[in-house]
Amino acid sequence: MSLPQLDDLDRQLIDVLAKDARVSNRRIAADLGVTEGTVRGRIKRLQEERLIAFTAITGFGINRAARLAFIGVQAQVDDVRAVAQAIAEVPQVNAVMVTMGQFNILAICLFAELENLVLETSDRILALPGVHHVETSIAVKTFKYDPRVVRITAASAPAADAGDDA
Amino acid sequence: MPIMGQEFVLDDIDRAIVEQLRNNGRASNQQIADTLGLTATTVSTRIRRMEDANQLRVVAVSDFSAHGYNVLMQVAVEVEGRPASDVAAELAQFPEVFAAHVVTGRYDIDLLVVLHDFDELPTLLFNKFGQVRGIRSILPAIAVDVIKYKFDVAPIEDRAAS
Repeated sequence: MSLPQLDDLDRQLIDVLAKDARVSNRRIAADLGVTEGTVRGRIKRLQEERLIAFTAITGFGINRAARLAFIGVQAQVDDVRAVAQAIAEVPQVNAVMVTMGQFNILAICLFAELENLVLETSDRILALPGVHHVETSIAVKTFKYDPRVVRITAASAPAADAGDDA
Repeated sequence: MPIMGQEFVLDDIDRAIVEQLRNNGRASNQQIADTLGLTATTVSTRIRRMEDANQLRVVAVSDFSAHGYNVLMQVAVEVEGRPASDVAAELAQFPEVFAAHVVTGRYDIDLLVVLHDFDELPTLLFNKFGQVRGIRSILPAIAVDVIKYKFDVAPIEDRAAS
């Protein structure tokens, strides 16, 4: 895996936009002392290379999904990607990664009621072909978490930036 | 947009605006207004109210690689002889620890650890985790492929504090 080349201006842009994505290019350009065209071009490049994505983050309260759960899955090794794909289709599941460790898939999900977690998520994962075992742990208290640094996958990147003003 | 006690309830218009912003956080108020048949002023007012109630942030999220992180690991920690919360609070101080939760189950703490390179592992293990009292065992899982990573629901802290 090769890392992208980012310069100071890219990093400054990421910082500014991580606080509020609805600042206009004009305003960013003035603040950083570059032209609007430079800002527009940089943002476009960062988006195309899937280094940043713009989105709306809503609080836990809105979806009433207050709790986070980690579901470790032991799945058939020769079919692990397909199983991981199937798990990713379960609506309550927010993140899925193939891992090397005691479990070969980790699913992270949000839930409101314990019943939903079991019936709509872990039970559904357990019923998928190729899944041998699931083990769930529920986050009781979060000490650190930054929702702004993520893995931007092809599926999760929203549409490219069209606009200027906000 | 009724506010019941401390709870902030979104109506259909709010939800429609949020949906538009999820697809493109940089869509202009006018673009959103045109799509939804509203005025730009309504869109702007609604967004501000949701932001002020700490229920919405429209932000750029950045990829781990944009920060130079090549290695992503989930690490389960088993604690002994010390409250798990104390151990988690201490582990959360390390910059490599990207997320830290106290959890139910066989292990007591769930961490997301990010590294620039596997070369950083010895320092992390010996000089950092090794110095934290109360760790009984560590069970890592190295992320090999991230299939899905949805990032649009999260705890939102007050802007003044962030």
